[in-house]
Amino acid sequence: MALPKKIKKNISLEPQLFGPARRQELLDKIQEHGTYLPKSLLHEDLDRGFLDFVKDELGIVSEGKKVPVLDILITTQNWAQFTKTWNFNDLDKNIVPPFVTTVRTPEVKYGSTPSLQYTIPNRRQYFYAMVPTWGDDGRKGMDVYTIPQPVPVDIKYSVKIICNRMRELNSFNKKVIEKFSSRQAYTQIKGHYIPIIMDDVSDESVMELEKRKFYMQSYSFTLMGFLIDENEFEVKPAVSRTLALFEVGSDSKRIKKPRQIPGNTTIYNESFDFPISVTSQTKTFEYTANITLENLTNVSSYDLYVNNLYFGANAINLPNQKLQINTNDILKIEITKTNSSETSSVKLITKLV
Amino acid sequence: MAQRNVPITRLNKFFGAEDFHLDVGMGREWLEGDMNFTLVLYRVDKTKTDNDDIYGEAGKDSIKFHPPIEFKAFVQVSAPENKFLGNSKLDQMEPGNIRISVYQSHLDELGIDIEFGDYVGYYESEKRVRYYSVANDGRVVSDNKHTYGGYKAFYRTIVAVPVNENEFRGL
Repeated sequence: MALPKKIKKNISLEPQLFGPARRQELLDKIQEHGTYLPKSLLHEDLDRGFLDFVKDELGIVSEGKKVPVLDILITTQNWAQFTKTWNFNDLDKNIVPPFVTTVRTPEVKYGSTPSLQYTIPNRRQYFYAMVPTWGDDGRKGMDVYTIPQPVPVDIKYSVKIICNRMRELNSFNKKVIEKFSSRQAYTQIKGHYIPIIMDDVSDESVMELEKRKFYMQSYSFTLMGFLIDENEFEVKPAVSRTLALFEVGSDSKRIKKPRQIPGNTTIYNESFDFPISVTSQTKTFEYTANITLENLTNVSSYDLYVNNLYFGANAINLPNQKLQINTNDILKIEITKTNSSETSSVKLITKLV
Repeated sequence: MAQRNVPITRLNKFFGAEDFHLDVGMGREWLEGDMNFTLVLYRVDKTKTDNDDIYGEAGKDSIKFHPPIEFKAFVQVSAPENKFLGNSKLDQMEPGNIRISVYQSHLDELGIDIEFGDYVGYYESEKRVRYYSVANDGRVVSDNKHTYGGYKAFYRTIVAVPVNENEFRGL
């Protein structure tokens, strides 16, 4: 009879952390047994981590014996040497099924975790930690540790089970499906938490009549890792405590530098130039100002528009006439030239309000 | 009801049952006397074998067989192939199939029949035996090749594929 759901079958003897404490624990593991810097994580580390994951998490038992897992990645060089010295091979020095092996797709693509985004160019260094140091002269200082952004990588693996019996297939399938029931599983590689996604299951069994028959099923996984190369880490000295001495003569007088007062910055000139055959100009004001006319060159009359609304003709000719322009207003001036074969200009005085 | 025997009268102007038996006898003398290729047949005892109820698969060393019987036959072993295991990158030396040509009269004398799934052991050396599983029991012998000049079938060609120790090792 099955146990009621509320009864715990496995009780952890170590206290389990949750929430922020768990997050801190994960961060601490990155630096555990190491320096202040994260541990380097390269292709071979990710491969080793995946092999360990397969061995520890996907191992099965058949007929009372643990199904062997090849603890090495199949590469072009090693396979022949390795399999012929394997400790469970037959008279022909071929590996006896059942066994589980892992094949890595040689190409490693730019990663898709957390998403396929090229965020930071040129391997810029980022602050990671500030570590207290003692200089040669015994003075206390700080070192600044910087690292570049880790590079995400997707590595594809095929985990293959080769066996003679359907029961072994079932057992392995159950183990994998249960482990990846929520599509992904996690493994820790050198303290880093790495997700693994299950992609597909395919059957490559040999079922031909006049051939040695065996089952082979291939489970493809994507390990969504990242690369951290310790050769790219930088340690730079920060500010250290120093003793600065200044010697000052008592007989010299301090020369006062004349104070520079900036000029009036609230009034400036604005010029609208009209080349030949141009009779209209616009300008967007990024401030609020009162404008008055300074002078006209080769202009017989002009019309003013604010935000395409007609304001008037020759409306600011007199000294006391002004036009208020607000921020983001568009001022348009249309002129009638005295001599149409020459250039014209309208000079305005702008006073910021 | 007894099965009706119909005499074979084809080719009877120049070939008959006596000639047929004579030639088969000479062939057997050459094969069993001169060549003397010996194999061991392990006929699977389907009632005693501890099979799985669902898949019909037996565990390691769980296949039960009738007492092994030696028989003489003409043996051709195909060359081994160095190839990948299925579609994987695992390459290994795959032993070749065995092709066994045996006189039907020899099987009749021994009172045995070779069926699909039976195992055959063939000693490659004094200490090394390789086991094969019958993948083609050669029961259909209606073709011209297996008849003596079109007169009557007289031998069977059996094809067997190598098996892993994990499946069968003669114990």
